[in-house]
Amino acid sequence: MTPDDAAEEAAGWLRAIAEHGDRVAFVALYGRFAPRVKAYLLRLALPPAQAEELTQEAMLAVWRKAAQFDARTSGAAAWIFTIARNLRVDAARRAALAVPEDMPPDELEPTMPADAQLDDARRADRLRQAMQTLPPEQAEVVRLAFFDDRPHAEIERRLGIPLGTVKSRLRLAMVRLRAQLDAFK
Amino acid sequence: MTHHPSAATLLAYAAGRLPVAHGIVVRTHLALCAECRAEAALAAAIGGEMLAELPPAALAADSLAKVLGRLDEAAPPAPPARPVPTTVEQLATGRWWWIGPGMRLMPLMRRGADNVRLDLIKVAPGVRLPGHGHTGTELTCVLRGAFGDETGEYHAGDFAEGEPGLEHEPMALPVGQDCVCLIATEGRLRAHSWVARLVQPLVGV
Repeated sequence: MTPDDAAEEAAGWLRAIAEHGDRVAFVALYGRFAPRVKAYLLRLALPPAQAEELTQEAMLAVWRKAAQFDARTSGAAAWIFTIARNLRVDAARRAALAVPEDMPPDELEPTMPADAQLDDARRADRLRQAMQTLPPEQAEVVRLAFFDDRPHAEIERRLGIPLGTVKSRLRLAMVRLRAQLDAFK
Repeated sequence: MTHHPSAATLLAYAAGRLPVAHGIVVRTHLALCAECRAEAALAAAIGGEMLAELPPAALAADSLAKVLGRLDEAAPPAPPARPVPTTVEQLATGRWWWIGPGMRLMPLMRRGADNVRLDLIKVAPGVRLPGHGHTGTELTCVLRGAFGDETGEYHAGDFAEGEPGLEHEPMALPVGQDCVCLIATEGRLRAHSWVARLVQPLVGV
């Protein structure tokens, strides 16, 4: 199955959940995404028990919010990723020390502004293709910048290149991805 | 607006792995900057691709069963959506402390396990902060007025990214009003002057 087919299949599962509470589709979705959501949370250095718990919460939220998924605005993986990411950020905010009193959590609800979404589902496919065409050294800094807890120092160490070079490679990668998406509009 | 978060910072924000206080400063700039919102959305879409290609982690044996058992639970009511606070009035939930002539500080978030604190700082036009260095990353979003330092001039909405090791002497520019910034500071400040070193323990920065 190509990555595009896999993305299309996942979008179909989400639609089946939204339209008729399809548990078989949910089990399939769980099988593909829950282990990856947990892998993502572990990459953020969450303790395994908390990563498992947040993974379950995220997948439950996916079930409940499936009707909000709109294949015209984002890919299934990006949508699920955003749900998991927001749960993670919420949990971190609740654990943070606020003075003089806790800020109410709803005020801190991290939501992506509506205009910040990709405006065409095919652009998600396009993004995947664009990422595959990034020069390897740019693709590598994007991956490291995304998932490594100490990105700069870590990238410098792993790639043996100075910080300035890391930053310019990242910027080039983002400009290139953006240009390829814009060209597709 | 001429100063924006770096690609590295936006990716880290989208990945959900910035310290909480740093994330709040980025979010404030995003609420004010449509261009960076689009970049952050691109970064989140990259996150989806990253997720899809991550090697799967082992789940707890009862992981799926537990979630299936909860599918029929009623969803908790969603909290009312409130816009991201971006003005001094919306963000100023604490009290102002005098920290020097023409300088006031409002602590918003204490230093936690990630060693980052969140404050509002208000500096009268023309006042220069005592020179200092940073041991960690300092992210700043200007809410009102303007300031300048060795790295440039920052006006309302601008985002300043201070790398660890930055040594600077920021000054509120004489633009007719106080400069108020939301500022997330990682680690400690190293004051250059003995006066500032004396004051430092009092304000805890």
